[in-house]
Amino acid sequence: MVVSQIVTRRSFVLASLYACVNSLSGQAIASRNIKPQAAPPASGKPFNAKFVDVAQAAGLHAPTIYGGIDSKKYIVEANGCGCAFIDYDNDGWMDIFVLCGTRLGGDPPEATNRLYKNNRDGTFTDVTEKAGLRAAGWANGVCVADYNNDGYDDIFCTYFGQNRLYRNNRNGTFTDVTKEAGLLQTEMRWGAGCAFLDYNRDGHLDLFVSNYIRFDFEHAPVPGANSTCNWKGIPVNCGPRGLPTGRHLLYRNNGDGTFTDVTKEAGISAAVESYGMTVVAADFDEDGWTDILVACDSTPSLLFMNNHDGTFREEAVVRGVALSDDGMEQAGMGVGIGDYDLDGHLDLFKTHFSGDTPGFYHNDGKGYFDQVTQTAKIGFETRYTCWGTGICDLDNDGYPDIFVASGSVYPEVERSLPDFPYRTPKLLFRNLGNGTFESVGKLAGPAIPAPHSSRGCAFGDFDNDGDMDILVINMNEPPSLLRNDCDPKPHWIKVKLQGTKSNRSAIGARVVMHHGGKKQAQAVVSQSSYYSCDDSRLHFGLGGATSADIDVYWPSGARENYKAITVDRLVTLREGKGIVANNGWK
Amino acid sequence: MTEVGVESERGRLARLIGLFVLLLLGSCVASAQSVNDQTQAIISALKQNNYSEALQLTQTGLRQSPASPQLWTLRAMAFSGKGDRGEALEAFRHALQSSPNYLPALEGAGQLIYQDRSQKAVPFLEQIVRMRPTDQVAHAMLGSLAFLRGDCTAAVQHFEDGRDQLQSQRSAMLEYASCLAQLHETEKAISVVQSLLNANPNDTEVRRAVAILQLKAEKPGNAIQTLAPLLEAGNVDVSTARLATEAYEANQDTPRAVQILHDAIVRDPTNVDLYVDFANIAFAHQSFQAGVEMLNVGLRAVPRSATLYLARGILYVQLAHYDEAEADFEKAQQIDPQQSFSAVAQGLLASKASGATKESLAELRRKLAKMPNDAFLWSLEASLLTEGSPDPGTPEYSEAMKAAKKAVALNPSLASAYDAQAKLYQAAGSTNASIEQCRNALRYDPKDQTALYRLIMMLRKTDKKDEIPELLKRLAELRQEATRKEAEENRYKLTIEPSTSSVANQSNERN
Repeated sequence: MVVSQIVTRRSFVLASLYACVNSLSGQAIASRNIKPQAAPPASGKPFNAKFVDVAQAAGLHAPTIYGGIDSKKYIVEANGCGCAFIDYDNDGWMDIFVLCGTRLGGDPPEATNRLYKNNRDGTFTDVTEKAGLRAAGWANGVCVADYNNDGYDDIFCTYFGQNRLYRNNRNGTFTDVTKEAGLLQTEMRWGAGCAFLDYNRDGHLDLFVSNYIRFDFEHAPVPGANSTCNWKGIPVNCGPRGLPTGRHLLYRNNGDGTFTDVTKEAGISAAVESYGMTVVAADFDEDGWTDILVACDSTPSLLFMNNHDGTFREEAVVRGVALSDDGMEQAGMGVGIGDYDLDGHLDLFKTHFSGDTPGFYHNDGKGYFDQVTQTAKIGFETRYTCWGTGICDLDNDGYPDIFVASGSVYPEVERSLPDFPYRTPKLLFRNLGNGTFESVGKLAGPAIPAPHSSRGCAFGDFDNDGDMDILVINMNEPPSLLRNDCDPKPHWIKVKLQGTKSNRSAIGARVVMHHGGKKQAQAVVSQSSYYSCDDSRLHFGLGGATSADIDVYWPSGARENYKAITVDRLVTLREGKGIVANNGWK
Repeated sequence: MTEVGVESERGRLARLIGLFVLLLLGSCVASAQSVNDQTQAIISALKQNNYSEALQLTQTGLRQSPASPQLWTLRAMAFSGKGDRGEALEAFRHALQSSPNYLPALEGAGQLIYQDRSQKAVPFLEQIVRMRPTDQVAHAMLGSLAFLRGDCTAAVQHFEDGRDQLQSQRSAMLEYASCLAQLHETEKAISVVQSLLNANPNDTEVRRAVAILQLKAEKPGNAIQTLAPLLEAGNVDVSTARLATEAYEANQDTPRAVQILHDAIVRDPTNVDLYVDFANIAFAHQSFQAGVEMLNVGLRAVPRSATLYLARGILYVQLAHYDEAEADFEKAQQIDPQQSFSAVAQGLLASKASGATKESLAELRRKLAKMPNDAFLWSLEASLLTEGSPDPGTPEYSEAMKAAKKAVALNPSLASAYDAQAKLYQAAGSTNASIEQCRNALRYDPKDQTALYRLIMMLRKTDKKDEIPELLKRLAELRQEATRKEAEENRYKLTIEPSTSSVANQSNERN
């Protein structure tokens, strides 16, 4: 019949079979429900980094209160928060800052962010009250930097609610200077990721804050209310799809302790609205000016390229970091930044929802990225919802590995669908040195497969033994502190930068380490992973190399080179001066 | 039987005779000869339907002039008048043997063969239009034949050249519109069919055709208006009900769409398509449980429907009820081993549920061995294999590429098969080949975001970057459109009232 030939009405079966191939598994969260890549065969090589969770022994007992335990009514309870390694007292030992949420219906007494001082013996002391950092609320992200260039790192926390800027008083205490700094918000916002950066190269750290959703409890739908409030037929907390997107903000540091909102004049507000999450600010195209990447949930991620004139242009799509390799939105949460293939350029690793592969992006050095998830053999792991992550050399062999913290957002699902547990393991992909990775799982110690519903994680050397440890946030549990007992331990070097013409923290600097014919780039950033901040000392594993050359690209535009630096130590480099004494590290 | 150029048999014959006389007189004027008495007598006999006499006269004439194309043509006309098509064709062939460009014989043979809708008529008709480019009847017939063999480009050209002939030819007009739609000239197609409808407002099929085209042009409001007379008349037939459902759903009036569908199901509870349509709407609104419950109703009415089991299985997959899904796919396969989808569905289930694909692909391959000309199966195999990102040089890579190429060879409009090739070429570093496949996909599906995105990524690697800004703009527009559509789909959730078997809607307006 001719009429039916005019339009081929795809039958439901045909259409839905195609849709099954590309369907959303989480209806409110973008996931391609993609078939995983075949897992590569094991290399058989030993992995010498072994992780042990020493949180309890270290004194990190307090749980990260975050919403309901057995069920979560609203998405605000589900996303969790980040953590930071920060040397708040400049004694050369990494202290720990752990964010916290609260519960619907009121703040439990134990619900507060916590600052733990490193006792230098493997233990920590909770100094939250003493430091003036006690605060309850739905904290999300943390970024750490010396915004006032006084030599002491400050802390900025984002909240569903009022963000907070804590100025370090240089005496072990902090003061909430949000209002006097001009950062008090006049309307309710959901602050998510944040980054300090010097976008205009005036030596003062500016601040970018991503926002997730425009949310209020009064109008928020409840589980099961509509199709964005169901997951595999089970009523769950709604969103983010179906909820209005957040608006991201850029504040310029006026150099006097205050900030001015320059979102519009900088071109940030012209970008497509999105559910913003982790922010990473670095010079991706190596033109000497800091750019801003925003991982976005269920909407295209954003990459603001610096125009050198106080403005930005958003180019994530054409630069290949906005979408999956099939042009689909993904649930972008965390971002790792590093140089996996040792070509001297900053690559990216983005985490996503279960049923989807991570986004692994190779930088060509000009800020254009190609997806290498499949060629790197990482596309086989799609079981878990992944959050915090880092591209970090965990076994010091000179090749950065990838670590991922995972955890479901729906505690109520596993009762009906045990194949989708709430607590899931961490993932560790070791770099094989040939552009590919393999999962090492429990080869890296018992802490890796231990199941938790994790969120942010930060990388740092809390015991100053020359290998990278990992702090991990666990929902409604104490954090994990994964001590790395790497044995044998190849050579390494840490680099701490101090800006003079550049901002004091050297945020935005890029360091390229040359050793044994290889070169590896790293950036000094105030946030990466998921809403978290790493140890500001850049750690380079060197394998068998006994010396290294270091190129430093300062945020001011200056470039310095250091030759034949001996290894297995921390070097502190001051802009324009050279190697200076370390703080507290003998 | 097609109506193009139809005329009744007698009418056709009369036309031929007229043409014959015209041409004969023309040739006489040119050669200063006169039409002889014999020929006059034959023509006269034909005009009076004295076919036997005409045959006798032509036989006599052919003894003297055995190669006369005129006589053979007149003889063919006589046989045709008697209903002896075989002899008529033979006679036309004799005429053309001695005079290949003899127009009346060409016309006669062409029209006679065309009556069978046979492509063998094409050479005759093409010769006619070469000699007489304005012969609208020949163009119309050529258009129809081109439509039949799927060459819409040629069909449209011929239909346009024969436009005047088409006006009163219903089937031909529908064919014309169909081809225009396939060539993405939907507005033009609408105006073609609308003119038919204006002439025949009570033609239900034509009215539905207009509505289908309006839906294709993404004007569901217009489609609803077009269907209104049929809906208002009551006792809506199934085809109209299904179309109206689609129109209302596209117009974001899900409650009305579901109501129409519900009423149709009540009137015709054993119509499988209606339950599948409901499942489609439930799927779109992610109301999978409601879809399952309605399919349960359908299966009680039609317990041996493979399609309903398949549809329910697909919804069970969405609900992560994998055991139930597997059971349904098995049942569908048992009931109808010939249908291709259940193997595919089982494959998808296996890949989604456990990540294992070997068994699912094996089943798909078995199906393909039995149904090697099923383009959809080839396309799905290509998609499944490609999704796992096989490395270039591996057997899986080669198989995926082969499957994708086979799919488009069988059905050039399968955009997903081009997408698969584009991805495979990209993985192999073949930038230009990937670009070509992206463009192929977009030719058939201009809204294919995957192809558009991949094209942008590939063009970045070439020196042809000028195109990129426009492509980025297109992609952004498509994404905005998709976001709007999703917001509309999320407005409604379907539920089934537990107390009755009727369907209820739950409207969930956003604040």
